[in-house]
Amino acid sequence: MAKTKFDVEVLTPEGELFHDEVEMLSTRTAVGSIGVLANHTPLLAMLDPTELRLYRSESDIVRFAQGEGYLQVADGRALVLVEEAHEPGELSASDLQERLRQAEQALSEAEENTEAARTALRDKRRWETFLRIAEGGGAH
Amino acid sequence: MAQRDVKNRIASVKNIEKITRAMEMVAAARLRRAEQRIAALRPYAGAIRRMTRQAAEAAENIPSLPILSEHESERTIAIVLVTRDRGLAGAFNSQILRAGLRAGAEHEEQGRSVVYYAAGRRGVSTLRFRKKDPVGEYVGFTDRPAYANARDIADDVMTAYVDGQVDRVEIFYNGYVSALTQEVRRETLLPLQQATILEASEGDDEDTGHHALVEYEPDPEEILRRLVPDYVEISIFRALLESTASEHGARMTAMRNASENAGELIEDLTLEMNRARQAEITQEIMEVVAGAESLT
Repeated sequence: MAKTKFDVEVLTPEGELFHDEVEMLSTRTAVGSIGVLANHTPLLAMLDPTELRLYRSESDIVRFAQGEGYLQVADGRALVLVEEAHEPGELSASDLQERLRQAEQALSEAEENTEAARTALRDKRRWETFLRIAEGGGAH
Repeated sequence: MAQRDVKNRIASVKNIEKITRAMEMVAAARLRRAEQRIAALRPYAGAIRRMTRQAAEAAENIPSLPILSEHESERTIAIVLVTRDRGLAGAFNSQILRAGLRAGAEHEEQGRSVVYYAAGRRGVSTLRFRKKDPVGEYVGFTDRPAYANARDIADDVMTAYVDGQVDRVEIFYNGYVSALTQEVRRETLLPLQQATILEASEGDDEDTGHHALVEYEPDPEEILRRLVPDYVEISIFRALLESTASEHGARMTAMRNASENAGELIEDLTLEMNRARQAEITQEIMEVVAGAESLT
Protein backbone atom coordinates (compact mmCIF):
# COMPACT_ATOMS: atom_id res chain seq x y z
CA MET A 1 0.00 0.00 0.00
CA ALA A 2 1.30 3.38 -0.90
CA LYS A 3 2.23 5.55 2.04
CA THR A 4 0.95 9.07 2.55
CA LYS A 5 3.14 11.60 0.79
CA PHE A 6 4.31 14.96 2.07
CA ASP A 7 6.03 18.00 0.64
CA VAL A 8 9.83 18.21 0.83
CA GLU A 9 12.04 21.05 -0.32
CA VAL A 10 15.83 20.89 -0.40
CA LEU A 11 17.49 24.31 -0.51
CA THR A 12 21.16 25.19 -0.85
CA PRO A 13 22.78 28.64 -1.02
CA GLU A 14 23.11 28.01 -4.75
CA GLY A 15 19.40 27.39 -5.26
CA GLU A 16 16.61 24.86 -4.93
CA LEU A 17 17.76 21.31 -5.52
CA PHE A 18 14.63 19.28 -4.99
CA HIS A 19 10.97 20.05 -4.42
CA ASP A 20 8.48 17.22 -4.59
CA GLU A 21 6.15 14.95 -2.64
CA VAL A 22 7.82 11.99 -0.99
CA GLU A 23 6.82 9.08 1.22
CA MET A 24 9.90 9.25 3.39
CA LEU A 25 13.00 11.33 3.92
CA SER A 26 16.06 9.93 5.60
CA THR A 27 19.10 11.84 6.80
CA ARG A 28 21.32 12.18 9.85
CA THR A 29 20.98 14.69 12.67
CA ALA A 30 23.65 15.51 15.20
CA VAL A 31 21.92 12.95 17.42
CA GLY A 32 21.63 10.11 14.91
CA SER A 33 19.93 8.79 11.79
CA ILE A 34 16.39 9.93 11.27
CA GLY A 35 13.55 8.93 8.98
CA VAL A 36 10.70 11.38 8.52
CA LEU A 37 7.26 10.26 7.37
CA ALA A 38 4.14 12.30 6.70
CA ASN A 39 2.53 13.91 9.78
CA HIS A 40 5.79 14.03 11.71
CA THR A 41 5.71 16.32 14.75
CA PRO A 42 7.26 19.77 14.25
CA LEU A 43 11.02 19.48 14.42
CA LEU A 44 14.13 21.58 14.10
CA ALA A 45 17.29 19.54 13.72
CA MET A 46 20.92 20.09 12.89
CA LEU A 47 22.20 17.78 10.15
CA ASP A 48 25.59 16.18 9.75
CA PRO A 49 27.14 15.10 6.45
CA THR A 50 25.51 11.94 5.15
CA GLU A 51 23.58 10.49 2.25
CA LEU A 52 20.22 12.25 2.05
CA ARG A 53 17.54 9.94 0.69
CA LEU A 54 14.19 11.03 -0.62
CA TYR A 55 11.79 8.14 -1.20
CA ARG A 56 9.30 9.07 -3.87
CA SER A 57 8.26 5.45 -3.53
CA GLU A 58 9.73 2.17 -2.34
CA SER A 59 11.81 1.91 -5.49
CA ASP A 60 12.18 5.52 -6.66
CA ILE A 61 14.81 7.00 -4.38
CA VAL A 62 16.60 10.30 -4.96
CA ARG A 63 20.00 10.45 -3.26
CA PHE A 64 22.34 13.31 -2.49
CA ALA A 65 25.63 13.56 -0.68
CA GLN A 66 24.77 16.35 1.74
CA GLY A 67 27.02 18.55 3.83
CA GLU A 68 26.11 20.22 7.11
CA GLY A 69 22.64 21.66 7.35
CA TYR A 70 19.28 21.84 9.07
CA LEU A 71 15.94 20.11 8.86
CA GLN A 72 12.73 21.84 9.73
CA VAL A 73 9.39 20.05 9.85
CA ALA A 74 6.38 22.30 10.29
CA ASP A 75 2.80 22.32 9.02
CA GLY A 76 3.23 18.89 7.48
CA ARG A 77 6.11 20.06 5.26
CA ALA A 78 9.81 19.40 5.50
CA LEU A 79 12.50 21.89 4.62
CA VAL A 80 16.07 20.66 4.27
CA LEU A 81 18.69 23.40 4.27
CA VAL A 82 22.16 22.19 3.38
CA GLU A 83 25.37 24.04 2.66
CA GLU A 84 26.13 21.73 -0.20
CA ALA A 85 24.58 18.68 -1.79
CA HIS A 86 25.72 16.68 -4.79
CA GLU A 87 24.35 13.82 -6.77
CA PRO A 88 26.52 10.79 -5.96
CA GLY A 89 27.59 10.55 -9.62
CA GLU A 90 28.98 14.10 -9.54
CA LEU A 91 31.48 13.34 -6.81
CA SER A 92 35.08 12.73 -7.76
CA ALA A 93 36.85 10.27 -5.48
CA SER A 94 40.33 11.56 -6.32
CA ASP A 95 39.27 15.15 -5.62
CA LEU A 96 37.77 14.10 -2.29
CA GLN A 97 40.88 12.12 -1.34
CA GLU A 98 42.92 15.26 -1.92
CA ARG A 99 40.58 17.35 0.23
CA LEU A 100 40.60 14.69 2.91
CA ARG A 101 44.38 14.67 2.86
CA GLN A 102 44.45 18.47 3.26
CA ALA A 103 41.98 18.30 6.15
CA GLU A 104 44.03 15.61 7.87
CA GLN A 105 47.16 17.67 7.41
CA ALA A 106 45.42 20.77 8.83
CA LEU A 107 44.22 18.68 11.75
CA SER A 108 47.69 17.39 12.53
CA GLU A 109 49.13 20.91 12.36
CA ALA A 110 46.43 22.48 14.53
CA GLU A 111 46.92 22.72 18.25
CA GLU A 112 44.45 20.82 20.37
CA ASN A 113 41.26 22.55 21.42
CA THR A 114 41.59 25.43 19.00
CA GLU A 115 38.99 26.58 16.51
CA ALA A 116 41.43 25.53 13.77
CA ALA A 117 41.37 21.95 15.06
CA ARG A 118 37.57 21.88 15.26
CA THR A 119 37.24 23.24 11.71
CA ALA A 120 39.72 20.69 10.35
CA LEU A 121 37.93 17.85 12.12
CA ARG A 122 34.58 18.95 10.70
CA ASP A 123 36.07 19.10 7.18
CA LYS A 124 37.68 15.69 7.63
CA ARG A 125 34.37 14.09 8.61
CA ARG A 126 32.56 15.69 5.69
CA TRP A 127 35.08 14.53 3.11
CA GLU A 128 35.20 11.04 4.63
CA THR A 129 31.44 10.77 4.32
CA PHE A 130 31.42 12.09 0.76
CA LEU A 131 34.21 9.72 -0.16
CA ARG A 132 32.26 6.74 1.17
CA ILE A 133 29.26 7.82 -0.89
CA ALA A 134 31.42 8.37 -3.98
CA GLU A 135 32.80 4.87 -3.61
CA GLY A 136 29.27 3.54 -3.53
CA GLY A 137 29.12 2.56 0.12
CA GLY A 138 26.36 4.87 1.32
CA ALA A 139 26.82 6.54 4.67
CA HIS A 140 24.33 5.04 7.09
CA MET B 1 50.63 59.22 -42.88
CA ALA B 2 50.46 57.43 -46.18
CA GLN B 3 47.11 56.28 -47.44
CA ARG B 4 47.97 52.58 -47.14
CA ASP B 5 49.07 52.91 -43.52
CA VAL B 6 45.82 54.61 -42.56
CA LYS B 7 43.88 51.90 -44.33
CA ASN B 8 45.68 49.22 -42.32
CA ARG B 9 44.98 51.03 -39.10
CA ILE B 10 41.29 51.29 -39.92
CA ALA B 11 41.21 47.55 -40.56
CA SER B 12 42.86 46.77 -37.24
CA VAL B 13 40.60 49.13 -35.28
CA LYS B 14 37.60 47.47 -36.93
CA ASN B 15 38.86 44.09 -35.73
CA ILE B 16 39.26 45.44 -32.21
CA GLU B 17 35.74 46.81 -32.34
CA LYS B 18 34.42 43.37 -33.27
CA ILE B 19 36.25 41.82 -30.33
CA THR B 20 35.05 44.38 -27.81
CA ARG B 21 31.46 44.04 -29.06
CA ALA B 22 31.68 40.27 -28.61
CA MET B 23 33.15 40.67 -25.13
CA GLU B 24 30.35 43.06 -24.25
CA MET B 25 27.77 40.45 -25.24
CA VAL B 26 29.54 37.68 -23.33
CA ALA B 27 29.65 39.90 -20.24
CA ALA B 28 25.92 40.64 -20.60
CA ALA B 29 25.09 36.93 -20.69
CA ARG B 30 27.31 36.21 -17.68
CA LEU B 31 25.80 39.13 -15.81
CA ARG B 32 22.33 37.63 -16.20
CA ARG B 33 23.56 34.33 -14.78
CA ALA B 34 25.30 36.07 -11.88
CA GLU B 35 22.10 37.99 -11.09
CA GLN B 36 20.17 34.71 -10.97
CA ARG B 37 22.65 33.28 -8.48
CA ILE B 38 22.21 36.28 -6.17
CA ALA B 39 18.45 35.70 -6.36
CA ALA B 40 18.91 31.97 -5.64
CA LEU B 41 20.67 32.72 -2.33
CA ARG B 42 17.75 34.73 -0.93
CA PRO B 43 15.37 31.87 0.01
CA TYR B 44 18.21 30.02 1.76
CA ALA B 45 19.35 33.08 3.71
CA GLY B 46 15.74 33.84 4.66
CA ALA B 47 15.18 30.29 5.92
CA ILE B 48 18.39 30.40 7.99
CA ARG B 49 17.19 33.66 9.55
CA ARG B 50 13.76 32.20 10.38
CA MET B 51 15.31 29.11 11.95
CA THR B 52 17.68 31.25 14.00
CA ARG B 53 14.80 33.30 15.36
CA GLN B 54 12.85 30.17 16.17
CA ALA B 55 15.79 28.55 17.96
CA ALA B 56 16.66 31.79 19.76
CA GLU B 57 13.09 32.09 21.06
CA ALA B 58 13.15 28.49 22.26
CA ALA B 59 16.56 28.94 23.89
CA GLU B 60 15.34 32.26 25.30
CA ASN B 61 18.70 33.85 24.50
CA ILE B 62 21.63 33.54 22.19
CA PRO B 63 24.54 31.67 23.72
CA SER B 64 27.65 33.80 24.17
CA LEU B 65 29.61 32.53 21.21
CA PRO B 66 33.20 33.67 20.71
CA ILE B 67 32.40 35.20 17.30
CA LEU B 68 29.73 37.39 18.93
CA SER B 69 31.94 38.86 21.63
CA GLU B 70 34.22 41.83 21.04
CA HIS B 71 37.82 41.43 21.98
CA GLU B 72 39.04 43.66 24.80
CA SER B 73 41.45 45.58 22.64
CA GLU B 74 41.85 45.80 18.86
CA ARG B 75 45.47 45.10 18.10
CA THR B 76 45.28 43.21 14.82
CA ILE B 77 42.80 43.87 12.05
CA ALA B 78 42.11 41.43 9.24
CA ILE B 79 41.13 42.93 5.90
CA VAL B 80 39.50 40.69 3.29
CA LEU B 81 39.77 42.04 -0.25
CA VAL B 82 37.43 40.56 -2.84
CA THR B 83 38.99 41.09 -6.27
CA ARG B 84 38.86 39.09 -9.48
CA ASP B 85 41.18 36.70 -11.23
CA ARG B 86 41.17 38.83 -14.37
CA GLY B 87 41.51 42.46 -15.32
CA LEU B 88 39.92 44.18 -18.34
CA ALA B 89 37.06 45.60 -16.34
CA GLY B 90 37.98 49.23 -15.87
CA ALA B 91 38.87 50.37 -12.36
CA PHE B 92 37.09 47.38 -10.88
CA ASN B 93 39.96 45.69 -9.03
CA SER B 94 42.04 48.77 -8.34
CA GLN B 95 39.27 50.59 -6.48
CA ILE B 96 38.93 47.66 -4.05
CA LEU B 97 42.67 47.48 -3.54
CA ARG B 98 42.93 51.22 -3.05
CA ALA B 99 40.08 51.29 -0.50
CA GLY B 100 41.45 48.27 1.37
CA LEU B 101 45.03 49.51 1.48
CA ARG B 102 43.93 52.96 2.58
CA ALA B 103 41.88 51.46 5.42
CA GLY B 104 44.88 49.29 6.32
CA ALA B 105 47.15 52.35 6.43
CA GLU B 106 44.67 54.15 8.70
CA HIS B 107 44.63 51.22 11.10
CA GLU B 108 48.42 51.16 11.11
CA GLU B 109 48.60 54.89 11.86
CA GLN B 110 46.53 54.18 14.93
CA GLY B 111 49.04 51.60 16.07
CA ARG B 112 47.19 48.46 15.01
CA SER B 113 48.73 45.82 12.84
CA VAL B 114 46.94 44.63 9.72
CA VAL B 115 46.81 41.26 7.98
CA TYR B 116 45.29 40.76 4.55
CA TYR B 117 43.21 37.99 3.03
CA ALA B 118 42.75 38.17 -0.74
CA ALA B 119 40.20 36.52 -2.99
CA GLY B 120 41.12 36.76 -6.67
CA ARG B 121 44.52 36.73 -8.40
CA ARG B 122 44.55 40.51 -8.89
CA GLY B 123 44.38 41.09 -5.16
CA VAL B 124 46.98 38.44 -4.39
CA SER B 125 49.52 39.76 -6.92
CA THR B 126 49.07 43.41 -5.96
CA LEU B 127 49.48 42.67 -2.25
CA ARG B 128 52.62 40.62 -2.95
CA PHE B 129 54.01 43.46 -5.06
CA ARG B 130 53.37 45.87 -2.18
CA LYS B 131 55.21 43.49 0.16
CA LYS B 132 52.04 42.81 2.11
CA ASP B 133 51.80 39.07 1.52
CA PRO B 134 48.25 37.91 2.18
CA VAL B 135 47.85 35.33 4.95
CA GLY B 136 44.97 33.76 3.04
CA GLU B 137 44.79 33.42 -0.75
CA TYR B 138 41.68 32.22 -2.55
CA VAL B 139 41.90 32.06 -6.33
CA GLY B 140 40.49 30.23 -9.32
CA PHE B 141 36.77 30.54 -8.65
CA THR B 142 35.83 34.18 -9.22
CA ASP B 143 33.82 33.42 -12.37
CA ARG B 144 31.55 31.08 -10.51
CA PRO B 145 32.03 31.18 -6.75
CA ALA B 146 30.63 28.18 -4.88
CA TYR B 147 29.37 28.25 -1.32
CA ALA B 148 32.34 26.06 -0.39
CA ASN B 149 34.69 28.90 -1.45
CA ALA B 150 32.90 31.27 0.90
CA ARG B 151 33.08 28.66 3.65
CA ASP B 152 36.86 28.34 3.17
CA ILE B 153 37.31 32.08 3.67
CA ALA B 154 34.80 32.18 6.55
CA ASP B 155 36.51 29.25 8.31
CA ASP B 156 39.89 30.96 8.09
CA VAL B 157 38.78 34.34 9.40
CA MET B 158 36.55 32.85 12.12
CA THR B 159 39.35 30.55 13.24
CA ALA B 160 41.76 33.48 13.39
CA TYR B 161 39.21 35.53 15.31
CA VAL B 162 38.25 32.84 17.81
CA ASP B 163 41.85 31.76 18.39
CA GLY B 164 42.76 35.40 19.03
CA GLN B 165 45.09 36.07 16.10
CA VAL B 166 42.88 38.92 14.88
CA ASP B 167 40.52 41.19 16.78
CA ARG B 168 38.31 42.41 13.99
CA VAL B 169 37.58 41.38 10.40
CA GLU B 170 36.57 43.77 7.64
CA ILE B 171 35.63 42.90 4.08
CA PHE B 172 35.89 45.09 0.97
CA TYR B 173 34.02 44.18 -2.19
CA ASN B 174 32.20 45.64 -5.15
CA GLY B 175 28.54 45.70 -4.23
CA TYR B 176 26.18 45.15 -7.12
CA VAL B 177 23.57 47.86 -7.57
CA SER B 178 22.85 47.54 -11.28
CA ALA B 179 24.64 46.75 -14.51
CA LEU B 180 25.79 50.37 -14.66
CA THR B 181 26.44 50.98 -10.98
CA GLN B 182 28.73 49.14 -8.63
CA GLU B 183 29.89 50.56 -5.33
CA VAL B 184 32.79 49.73 -3.06
CA ARG B 185 31.37 48.30 0.14
CA ARG B 186 33.17 47.99 3.46
CA GLU B 187 31.56 45.77 6.07
CA THR B 188 32.60 44.42 9.43
CA LEU B 189 32.32 40.63 9.46
CA LEU B 190 33.58 40.00 12.98
CA PRO B 191 32.70 40.51 15.75
CA LEU B 192 29.25 39.63 14.50
CA GLN B 193 26.50 41.88 15.85
CA GLN B 194 23.61 40.19 17.63
CA ALA B 195 21.29 42.74 16.08
CA THR B 196 22.25 41.46 12.60
CA ILE B 197 21.23 37.95 13.52
CA LEU B 198 17.85 38.75 14.98
CA GLU B 199 16.98 41.49 12.54
CA ALA B 200 13.76 40.69 10.74
CA SER B 201 13.65 41.34 7.06
CA GLU B 202 10.44 42.03 5.23
CA GLY B 203 8.59 38.92 4.16
CA ASP B 204 9.63 36.58 6.96
CA ASP B 205 7.75 38.04 9.88
CA GLU B 206 4.75 35.72 9.86
CA ASP B 207 5.10 34.15 13.27
CA THR B 208 4.20 30.50 13.40
CA GLY B 209 3.34 30.56 17.11
CA HIS B 210 3.56 26.85 17.93
CA HIS B 211 7.13 26.76 19.16
CA ALA B 212 6.24 25.02 22.39
CA LEU B 213 5.48 21.81 20.52
CA VAL B 214 8.65 21.75 18.44
CA GLU B 215 11.20 19.02 19.00
CA TYR B 216 14.84 20.04 18.85
CA GLU B 217 17.68 17.74 17.88
CA PRO B 218 20.00 18.54 19.64
CA ASP B 219 18.82 21.34 21.97
CA PRO B 220 18.27 24.85 20.60
CA GLU B 221 21.50 26.25 22.07
CA GLU B 222 23.54 23.67 20.20
CA ILE B 223 21.71 24.42 16.96
CA LEU B 224 22.37 28.14 17.42
CA ARG B 225 26.05 27.46 17.89
CA ARG B 226 26.12 26.29 14.30
CA LEU B 227 23.52 28.66 12.87
CA VAL B 228 25.27 31.81 13.99
CA PRO B 229 28.55 31.18 12.09
CA ASP B 230 26.41 30.58 8.98
CA TYR B 231 25.74 34.31 8.92
CA VAL B 232 29.41 34.97 8.33
CA GLU B 233 29.52 32.37 5.54
CA ILE B 234 26.40 33.78 3.91
CA SER B 235 27.74 37.36 4.13
CA ILE B 236 30.96 36.30 2.42
CA PHE B 237 29.11 34.24 -0.19
CA ARG B 238 26.88 37.22 -0.97
CA ALA B 239 29.98 39.42 -1.29
CA LEU B 240 31.55 36.92 -3.73
CA LEU B 241 28.36 36.71 -5.81
CA GLU B 242 27.86 40.47 -5.90
CA SER B 243 31.47 40.95 -6.82
CA THR B 244 31.07 38.54 -9.74
CA ALA B 245 27.91 40.30 -10.93
CA SER B 246 29.65 43.66 -10.55
CA GLU B 247 32.64 42.44 -12.54
CA HIS B 248 30.46 41.43 -15.47
CA GLY B 249 28.55 44.72 -15.21
CA ALA B 250 31.78 46.69 -15.15
CA ARG B 251 33.27 44.71 -18.03
CA MET B 252 30.11 45.16 -20.07
CA THR B 253 30.32 48.93 -19.55
CA ALA B 254 34.07 49.02 -20.20
CA MET B 255 33.65 47.04 -23.43
CA ARG B 256 30.76 49.21 -24.57
CA ASN B 257 32.94 52.29 -24.06
CA ALA B 258 35.79 50.62 -25.92
CA SER B 259 33.49 49.79 -28.84
CA GLU B 260 32.25 53.38 -28.94
CA ASN B 261 35.82 54.71 -28.85
CA ALA B 262 36.75 52.37 -31.68
CA GLY B 263 33.81 53.70 -33.70
CA GLU B 264 34.98 57.29 -33.19
CA LEU B 265 38.54 56.36 -34.04
CA ILE B 266 37.37 54.74 -37.29
CA GLU B 267 35.55 57.95 -38.25
CA ASP B 268 38.63 60.06 -37.54
CA LEU B 269 40.89 57.71 -39.45
CA THR B 270 38.53 57.57 -42.42
CA LEU B 271 38.61 61.36 -42.54
CA GLU B 272 42.38 61.29 -42.40
CA MET B 273 42.53 58.68 -45.15
CA ASN B 274 40.31 60.77 -47.42
CA ARG B 275 42.49 63.78 -46.77
CA ALA B 276 45.64 61.77 -47.57
CA ARG B 277 44.06 60.46 -50.78
CA GLN B 278 43.05 63.99 -51.78
CA ALA B 279 46.58 65.23 -51.08
CA GLU B 280 48.05 62.48 -53.22
CA ILE B 281 45.71 63.32 -56.14
CA THR B 282 46.51 67.02 -55.82
CA GLN B 283 50.19 66.17 -55.81
CA GLU B 284 49.88 64.10 -59.00
CA ILE B 285 47.90 66.78 -60.80
CA MET B 286 50.49 69.36 -59.83
CA GLU B 287 53.23 67.15 -61.15
CA VAL B 288 51.39 66.69 -64.46
CA VAL B 289 50.74 70.41 -64.74
CA ALA B 290 54.34 71.22 -63.87
CA GLY B 291 55.58 68.70 -66.44
CA ALA B 292 53.29 70.14 -69.15
CA GLU B 293 54.47 73.67 -68.35
CA SER B 294 58.13 72.73 -68.68
CA LEU B 295 57.47 71.41 -72.22
CA THR B 296 56.05 74.66 -73.48
